[in-house]
Amino acid sequence: MTLSDMPDFAPDLLAAFTARRAERVHTPVIQPADPFLDMAGEDLRRRIFLTASETGTSLCLRPEFTIPVCLRHIATATGTPKRYAYLGEVFRQRRGGAEEFYQAGIEDLGERDVASADARAIVDAMEILRLVLKGRNLSLTLGDQAVFEAVVAALGLPVGWQKRLIHAFGDAAHLEALLDRLARPQPVAGLDPEIEALLSADREDDLIARLESRMEETGYSTNASRSPAEIARRLKEKRALAETRLDGSALLLLREFLTLRLPLAEASAALAGFADAADLKLGPAIAAFDARLAALANAGADLSAMTYRAAFGRPLDYYTGMVFEITAAGGEVLAGGGRFDRLMTLLGAESHIPAVGFSLWLDRIDTLRTRRSGEPA
Amino acid sequence: MTITIALPSKGRMKDEASAIFERAGLKISTVGNDRSYRGRVEGMDDVEIAFLSASEISREIGAGAVDFGVTGEDLVREGLADADERVDFCARLGFGHADVVVAVPDIWLDVDTMADLGDVAAEFRTRHGRRLAIATKYWRLTQQHFSGSHGIQLYRIVESLGATEGAPASGSADIIVDITSTGSTLKANHLKILSDGIILRSQACLVRARKPEHDGDARIREIVERVQGALRG
Repeated sequence: MTLSDMPDFAPDLLAAFTARRAERVHTPVIQPADPFLDMAGEDLRRRIFLTASETGTSLCLRPEFTIPVCLRHIATATGTPKRYAYLGEVFRQRRGGAEEFYQAGIEDLGERDVASADARAIVDAMEILRLVLKGRNLSLTLGDQAVFEAVVAALGLPVGWQKRLIHAFGDAAHLEALLDRLARPQPVAGLDPEIEALLSADREDDLIARLESRMEETGYSTNASRSPAEIARRLKEKRALAETRLDGSALLLLREFLTLRLPLAEASAALAGFADAADLKLGPAIAAFDARLAALANAGADLSAMTYRAAFGRPLDYYTGMVFEITAAGGEVLAGGGRFDRLMTLLGAESHIPAVGFSLWLDRIDTLRTRRSGEPA
Repeated sequence: MTITIALPSKGRMKDEASAIFERAGLKISTVGNDRSYRGRVEGMDDVEIAFLSASEISREIGAGAVDFGVTGEDLVREGLADADERVDFCARLGFGHADVVVAVPDIWLDVDTMADLGDVAAEFRTRHGRRLAIATKYWRLTQQHFSGSHGIQLYRIVESLGATEGAPASGSADIIVDITSTGSTLKANHLKILSDGIILRSQACLVRARKPEHDGDARIREIVERVQGALRG
């Protein structure tokens, strides 16, 4: 079969989506490029197929389904909760592997019961994979940004530092660089004496006025980009953050937390134990984690195939809570999912719409299906 | 096999490149009249000179259409993915100096480093309803520096093919990534370079396309060694 053929198990997936009351939606293959670049960053540019319309609008071949499905939901002004399913081709520039391949998945928008919606996404992804990969041992890894957020908040770090760390969550190298900076603070220096005086005397209004007049003198608009007030506020914040130093024991705690990796069934007790031993108040985050576990158990999930990894996250600012991925015997990721509560408003939804979903890599699943069962995964 | 060397077709780059080749004992003469875009090396019949624009040279080197070229390192690294795998920077020629830098409005008193810029970029959308906009013609170098080296992903590139330094004041972008040699244009536009914002210290280079047929070709080695020798001498 050629790579662009619809996989033979596609009808099974569509039937499974219907059985789960997810409405299948179609989105155009040619999409405006801006939403993808805005959400995922410029890095995506070299991994997607870009083109431009005659009028200069930047267009791309659909690189994934979540953003088009969410945009469609907003454009059609549909009410929530709503479960969407999709199955179709996506297009990405990849060094290895095909550049066009099929993905399918479910996006669950507007379900307020976060724990059940999380559990349902995980159970659905697992069950559907089991359906099309009979007899394969699947394992799931789960991460939870909310727990990490609770840990950095409980350590008593200033909000600015919390934001930096949370922003880097899931990007091990970036996070490590930040932890280094926290261990060795560097004072802010080199400010103009006049600005320094205004800042030290906490004369914020005068500082703003000074910045404003300087911008006007140099021909800079005071509202097209960063405003004088914004610069003044961050100057003050930066000074406070630069003086922040995380003592050795707190850094050790944070590092210890990031190395946690254990069976999901044991994760609640381990997190509670970690919070107790470290004397950190993680109550609400652990309660939410427990509620998700309970919902998973209720839904009949096999927790023994699931691992919690504390450092697992996606460093994109619209992911907010749980993320997960499923592999067969540690091979390539067959399904990836997560909660993205911030995406809908970033894309222009007027109200806050909680969202969770998962995506299946049909080309990888197909490879496993056609491989004889005796062969290693 | 004829060896083709692509040299800048005009201006100081052309004169400086010719001077170095001459000192290397590779005297270049144009074929036909002075304005011809083809030339030869005196005494080497199987070497051809193609006079091209600097950006064409980096493209032709990347495609392996020429064997050698003299062009700016910035153009090669911007034009080619995996530049070091595809080309060999044989010699840095000591002219055409230009740094590719990240520069922000100097009124951004709170921004001195890429880490500061990371903080600003992370919050930009919440405050301004759009991502931080960078005016540049260096897409690849910007991405490598921002996301590769500093973990900054949330920004948008606004393509700018000229007068990039004016973009922040005109409001078409917030900051720039551009080349500078003396910094005076940046200063005139009230921009400052971040302390860790030098992406590349570029200069004119003798660049060789990595081709299998070059292996063991004595003429290839001779050209490289002569140019390197001229720089030492």
